[in-house]
Amino acid sequence: MSPIVSAEGLVKRFRRPQKGPGLAGAVRHLLRPRHETVTAVDGVDLSIEPGESVAYVGPNGAGKSTTIKLLTGILVPSAGTVQVCGVRPHLDRQANARNISVVFGQRTQLWWDIPVIESFRLLGDIYAVPGPEYRRAVDELVDVLDLGPLLGVPARQLSLGQRMRCDLGAALVHAPQVLFLDEPTIGLDVAVKARLREFVGRMRVQRGLTVLLTSHDLGDIEELCPRMIMIDKGHIVYDGPFDEVTRRFGWEQKVVVTLAEGASGAAAPARRALARISLAIEETPTGLVVTFDSRLISSGEVIKELAVALPVVDLALEETSAESIVRRLYEGQLSFQVTGDVEAER
Amino acid sequence: MTSLDTEAALRGRTSPGSKYVSLARTTLQQAIAYRITTFFNVGLTFIWVIILYYLWRAAYAGRASIAGLSWDQMRTYVVIAYGINALVGWRTGTAMMATIRTGDVVFGMVRPLNYCTTQLARALGFTVVEGGISMVFTLVIGLLFLHIQAPASVGSALLFVLALIIGFLTKMLVVFLVSLLTFWTLNGMGLMWSQQAIMQILSGTIVPLALMPGWLQVVAKVLPLRGIVSTPLEFYLGTASGWAGLGLLGLQAAWLVALWLISNLAWKRAFRIVEIQGG
Repeated sequence: MSPIVSAEGLVKRFRRPQKGPGLAGAVRHLLRPRHETVTAVDGVDLSIEPGESVAYVGPNGAGKSTTIKLLTGILVPSAGTVQVCGVRPHLDRQANARNISVVFGQRTQLWWDIPVIESFRLLGDIYAVPGPEYRRAVDELVDVLDLGPLLGVPARQLSLGQRMRCDLGAALVHAPQVLFLDEPTIGLDVAVKARLREFVGRMRVQRGLTVLLTSHDLGDIEELCPRMIMIDKGHIVYDGPFDEVTRRFGWEQKVVVTLAEGASGAAAPARRALARISLAIEETPTGLVVTFDSRLISSGEVIKELAVALPVVDLALEETSAESIVRRLYEGQLSFQVTGDVEAER
Repeated sequence: MTSLDTEAALRGRTSPGSKYVSLARTTLQQAIAYRITTFFNVGLTFIWVIILYYLWRAAYAGRASIAGLSWDQMRTYVVIAYGINALVGWRTGTAMMATIRTGDVVFGMVRPLNYCTTQLARALGFTVVEGGISMVFTLVIGLLFLHIQAPASVGSALLFVLALIIGFLTKMLVVFLVSLLTFWTLNGMGLMWSQQAIMQILSGTIVPLALMPGWLQVVAKVLPLRGIVSTPLEFYLGTASGWAGLGLLGLQAAWLVALWLISNLAWKRAFRIVEIQGG
């Protein structure tokens, strides 16, 4: 099967005006405008099969939204190619629009002042959904999302959770092939979140819907998306199963040491004991946290050395979860340079 | 019970309506949701009509005509000019700008719609409610209390309606173009105010073109804005007929086509600017 969403060497550069501070800066910019070029997406390759559910993860400003905008035809790529359902979005925006649907957690596509059902009807008209299909789609959505009591209510009177349910329903009235979800569960309570995830999962199974999700909520990713793509500074740094990210980046391990008489001066002997490798030692009120690269030294060896050098009361090896790796990516603490000199150091 | 019935009817609709008609209808419903605002707008507009009416009455004291217009023609002009001006109201422009400023414009982009036509359909929805009420109000008050004249003839009434429709579309497109500037300026209130002022002057809403100083008259006569208020009124009053009238209609139509093309081009340009706001 050929991919439903594909991108090759996708690049998006923005020209951003460079203004100095204050009024003087503004005037100077007016007289001699200067621009800097920002590369938001830098050579991204994507290939998503029909029916797949993919999480697109990265810290703010990593290029997630820009990629989504390139895939939905809102932005024109600076270089590279992009194709969604066989259509190039920026060249044939309207044709692309018929195949896709976008849900933004932070903004609603429902018409604010009129009953929800009117928005549904309007969307049905905009996408020219034939009568029987429209009826079937709306009945199904009303049933699954429990929209019955909400249909007659203007969108502005809905709670956030209710609004999100209606928004998801509205996005699926025209039976799109690809659904883009941009932080769909932001601000929702646990119960509503669970319900939305279940619904998206169900649509994927029943309708063969392809889902591309951006979210900062790891629960969304874990439950909805077997596959995760991580982007950082415009580059894709990981593309594979969610669980496998630990194997790939999980070499950084931590030993939490509790010491008998507190941490005072314990860092130095620990460093001496493990002098042959570089590691990070952090003092805590009760002891030390030793962070090391498990490719250079086994955890057993670290524990052995520490136990010899220090009056250890307790030792705990902190497990590296996919979650902690994603969190470290967000905190900018994870370097994705594949260190080729690991062997040399050894 | 009735709401449930309409729901059932909506869910059971047999075939999709035209998307732009449907859009206009939805905007109409939206405008009705704000009926208090609508009545306020109409009322405020009318205060201006009263002020202008009495100003002109003072100017006509002891004079039979000013710039070839009799007092009867002038009061008709003033009242109907405001009725026409209200057809594309303040809210149409601000609504367009709001979608750009808040970023909701993305929904216009991820749907199979021509953005320009979409805005036209939305303006139409607003106009039916806001402009319609305003126009009826103007005509009733005008005919009953301000003694405005009826159209010069059946022919001029028909020409008036035709010119009015072209004028409506013209104004819509001008407002659309101005609202597109929001992509660059990001804040539109100042734009909207200046646009309103310039449009009222150059369309002949405040003063008929014939009364303007020479250079301004030349400018106003060439620009498309005269087609919004002045041209329909010239037909209404019967001051333009024959070749002159045909020329006016031709100019109106030519500008409409030009503005349509410019609008679509400008939208494509603006479309590329969006990136900066998107982030």
